[in-house]
Amino acid sequence: MIQSTEQAFIGTCNKVFDMTDENKKGMSSNQLKFIISGGLFLVAVVILIISATRGTAEFFMTVEELQQSENELQGQNLRVSGAVLGESIYFDTDTGLLHFTIAHIPADEELATEEGELSKVLQQAVNDPDNSRLEVIYEGAKPDMLRDESQAILTGQLNSEGVFVAKELLLKCPSKYEEALPGQAE
Amino acid sequence: MISSFGYMTLALAFLLSLYGLVILIFGLIQKSQAFIESARRALVLIFPLSTAGILVLVFLLLTDRFDVAYVYSVSSKEMPAYLKLTALWGGQEGSLLFWSWLLSGFSLVFSSRKIRKESDLFPWAMLIAFLFLIFFLGLNVFLATPFERFWHFTDGGRVLSVFQPLNAWPLTPKDGQGLNPLLRHPGMIWHPPALYLGFVGFLIPFGLAAATLITKRRDGRWIELSRTWILIAWVFLSLGLVLGMRWAYDVLGWGGYWGWDPVEIAALMPWLSATALIHTALLQKKANGFQRWNLSLIILTFGLVIFGTFITRSGVLSSVHTFAGSNIGPAMFVIMGITSISGLGLLIYRWRDFGPAQEIEFGFSREVLTLFSNLVLLSILMVCFLGVVYPIFSDLLTGTQVTVGPAWYESITGPLFLLLLSLMGLCPLAAWGLTRVSKIRQGLTILLPMSLLVPLLIWLLGDVNDFYALTALWLAGLAVIVISWEYITAVRKALSRPDVKLPGVLWSPLQRNHRRYGGLLVHLGIVLMSLGIIGLEGLQQETQLRLEQGESASIGAYQYTFEGIERFTEAETTTTQAVLTILDQGQSEGALYPSREVYPNLGMAVTIPGVKSKLSLDHYAILVDWQPELPDEATFRIFVNPLVNWLWIGSGVLTLGTVVAVLPKSGKGKL
Repeated sequence: MIQSTEQAFIGTCNKVFDMTDENKKGMSSNQLKFIISGGLFLVAVVILIISATRGTAEFFMTVEELQQSENELQGQNLRVSGAVLGESIYFDTDTGLLHFTIAHIPADEELATEEGELSKVLQQAVNDPDNSRLEVIYEGAKPDMLRDESQAILTGQLNSEGVFVAKELLLKCPSKYEEALPGQAE
Repeated sequence: MISSFGYMTLALAFLLSLYGLVILIFGLIQKSQAFIESARRALVLIFPLSTAGILVLVFLLLTDRFDVAYVYSVSSKEMPAYLKLTALWGGQEGSLLFWSWLLSGFSLVFSSRKIRKESDLFPWAMLIAFLFLIFFLGLNVFLATPFERFWHFTDGGRVLSVFQPLNAWPLTPKDGQGLNPLLRHPGMIWHPPALYLGFVGFLIPFGLAAATLITKRRDGRWIELSRTWILIAWVFLSLGLVLGMRWAYDVLGWGGYWGWDPVEIAALMPWLSATALIHTALLQKKANGFQRWNLSLIILTFGLVIFGTFITRSGVLSSVHTFAGSNIGPAMFVIMGITSISGLGLLIYRWRDFGPAQEIEFGFSREVLTLFSNLVLLSILMVCFLGVVYPIFSDLLTGTQVTVGPAWYESITGPLFLLLLSLMGLCPLAAWGLTRVSKIRQGLTILLPMSLLVPLLIWLLGDVNDFYALTALWLAGLAVIVISWEYITAVRKALSRPDVKLPGVLWSPLQRNHRRYGGLLVHLGIVLMSLGIIGLEGLQQETQLRLEQGESASIGAYQYTFEGIERFTEAETTTTQAVLTILDQGQSEGALYPSREVYPNLGMAVTIPGVKSKLSLDHYAILVDWQPELPDEATFRIFVNPLVNWLWIGSGVLTLGTVVAVLPKSGKGKL
């Protein structure tokens, strides 16, 4: 009984993959079992990947891009990076929400890795009044690294008022560790 | 002066490795044993030289020599001595030197008697060691030397150099910048060296595998010689990952332990492929096949090690782990390219020479389940890799960068990890070759129903309704029951022999078949760790609110009362510490002390969670906000984290299991 079902299954597979006796040369039914079960498993993994990507992938955008297509992007998962404006940081003790504003950083300068370069980019972004800005709210502790001219990488969604509701908040700081030489000598 | 001496030892070690490589190649071409022996001596000498180099750096760190740029950047006067010592791997240059030192130590193993006896594999394995020594010592000498000092000219100009430039004077800062406060935690102190030991440990298996491919030696000797080293590297890699989790849990203060950061993933990937390798290495022995598979896996593992190093050190990705302002990216990229291309090329070139020897029968057998676990592990690896490169490819293909976050990884790998959990429960029931029906029947009639009690009891007593978490707990319960059953059966069998006594017989399975029961112990460790992960991922409860002094918050049956705030100042820090007392249904459970440390000199602050840890759960609180103007109010985020402690306990069991599996069989004194 089991064997006949199995043979029927292999028969079907042969039809599906067009495996007539000639081109199935060298492949035993034992190997076929491995290939089919492994293949089924991998198909399941691929389906998992596709559904996860549909549900949770985030579009990485600059502040400017975000504001240009504000209406279309509502409800989408987004990831945005910008320079933090120090004076805008405010923790609302009643609601437990952290408010701050970020300024646009050009996409190609986001990856600045050279020593001191990032801090220059961030400084420019913060001090340019014409730069696009984005209001952010975040529920959670005020991170230690959130301060003026730090780079915030946010994940979340835009609400109907165009405020970015961040679920995750990652910060990069051009710290003093980047300075190559000490300022003071003995 | 002394720093120049340190530099000279490294330069000498570098030259010696160059010499070794050249003389070794001559030896291989001319088939001259004398040349190969000369190369071996060079290899042996590199270790004491690099040790001298690293000792010099330790000395400079301990004696506060802030004229040395590296010491200035990672150390300060007020740091305690043990932190000064660990500042050795607190920055780019020092950790690279530490890496080279480990590399030279592991290279020494190639000239151990056991490997030297394999006169065909030995020189080629040594060749691999020399290549990597040249690369990493080269980095220490030319691109990232920890021995550079500050100098200034009379006109005020400044320069960094190992040796005194003309007309320049040494410049000695009063104090160093100090180690990043976030790194001053036991987890973070031991996390890097454990990971490095794990990473570098794969050099030996990789070298032996490359030698095997080159010499076409087909008897699988390389895997026997590598077994211990693979396991040691694997256990250090595991510990490195767990220590990182512990650090994140204790210091980063978001109530979690793993954030699917690209750098974390970069360390997880070689762990996954090495885990797969450990399992199929068994198949190579049992079924005399899988040569290509295992050779591919070790090359993949070592390739991923180099990839992980590249990601951390090149600055291509930004995260908490990367070193700022790195200039060794291009060099790392080149070595990564060379390693993967030559490894892959060698594999393809020799593919036909390592064909399958014996076919495995499809069915419920340990072979097939092992293969399946390999498939699951490698699928997780594939998902990880996809997640890391997805932003790059989406940018190239569509013009918009699409990234994936923790939710993406969790939703895909969650079911896969559950599969692994169930395999750890099923595998001991299957036998090599054909599985006896009686054993499966035993599993189905006794163990499976028993395991169903686990989620049932938790559901009834523990008030847990999450289906996903209950399924995971059921599978973990099944694995624990099956593994214990296996062990009890083995003890009972041993008891039937006449000469055994009761306390000693409990250890007899570990002594008689240390590889199998060591392996089962490792599985038990992983299952226990999974309990902690299930607790954090599926059963965590949290609340955030503002409390006035004397006011309480509650999660479930627990009540947290804000008793007050204290401030105190120590040498480098000002600490604000809150006190929250815990009541469990009216019974006192102690207190939590979440705090915030401010380092004024560094312009940094660190939020330290207050944790009260029990076997069943952790109380975990973070001081979110407190202002001096309103001293009687503070905002807290409070978590109840069930089962977390098992994550740390499990890692101990895992280590113990690996030790049992690696140790030579007791009593016989035979390797």
